[in-house]
Amino acid sequence: MVRGSLYLVSLVTMIASPAAAEIGRIKSAIGTASVQRGSAQLPAKVGQDLLPGDWLETGKDGRISLTFIDNTRFAVGPNSRIALSKFEYDRTTQKGSFVTQVERGSLAVVSGRISKSGRDAMQMRTPTSLLGVRGTRFIIEVPK
Amino acid sequence: MHRSFTVAALFALAGCAHSSLVLLPDEDGGHGAVAVLSPDGTGQETVVGEANSRAMLGKGKPTIRPLGAKGLNPREAALIGSLPPPAKSFTLYFVEGTTDMTATSAPRIEEIRTEIAGRPGADVQVTGHTDTVGSGDDNDVLSQKRAEEIMNLLAERGFDRSIMSAVGRGERELQVETEDNVDSPVNRRVEVIVR
Repeated sequence: MVRGSLYLVSLVTMIASPAAAEIGRIKSAIGTASVQRGSAQLPAKVGQDLLPGDWLETGKDGRISLTFIDNTRFAVGPNSRIALSKFEYDRTTQKGSFVTQVERGSLAVVSGRISKSGRDAMQMRTPTSLLGVRGTRFIIEVPK
Repeated sequence: MHRSFTVAALFALAGCAHSSLVLLPDEDGGHGAVAVLSPDGTGQETVVGEANSRAMLGKGKPTIRPLGAKGLNPREAALIGSLPPPAKSFTLYFVEGTTDMTATSAPRIEEIRTEIAGRPGADVQVTGHTDTVGSGDDNDVLSQKRAEEIMNLLAERGFDRSIMSAVGRGERELQVETEDNVDSPVNRRVEVIVR
């Protein structure tokens, strides 16, 4: 009986948090656009969930927009290759750290809770620089 | 003719040579800042702290200039225009000790449904908040449990479970500031955030 209800409790917990590792979702995608996850190439589709380590890739007609669980928002422009290198976030305390790598292309950002959780808790890497995000709305462009 | 060609060529050249950062005003009117650090994070930082300014990034110290009257170029404007809309938050209040919504909160359910329908790929965070009665740890557990109850309630009312998640914020984000151990129906609430 006790064991049964314990099982039920853990089952309910599992159902209650169906996507523990999900860090964000794609909200729009047009043209040639994909998510590279390890060796897998997933089409960038509306509603696609994102995980730490994913690469966002767009062709010359491609665009992706996405939101993160800390309320950060991204818009990825054409000819881009961008990695969500690190994303750690405690949704109870709203603290974490977030590192994005812009290898090439363009990215518009509206930063969310993580950037407010500590000095340079949100960072962007370009081939030549490391940026510490202290708010809020900005664009990064890295030509080929 | 000649001149505009030269300017365009210069722009193209600048675009090829350097990465850039454009800092814009926040949506609520203020503005933040972005610090430019060296790739290994050491050395002196340069802070881009004026809204509507453009920093050219490269080796050495970045050069920062105001955007000026021309503002964003069409490429940048298109990028900003394709950002998803900001998250929207709805607050629900409950009759104490129950999962019955108060009469004033009940209409929020249909508003939430409409908001989700208008956002392709929407995801929904159900966040529980408590008042300051009891310990912080107990309130974390209580707020998480309340959020899960309300998430189940929303699922029963036809909301897609696969787009919802529950979060307990305990007593960290009071609607109305109080001393510790103060009973407050306004602080005992659930926030539904639609992204």
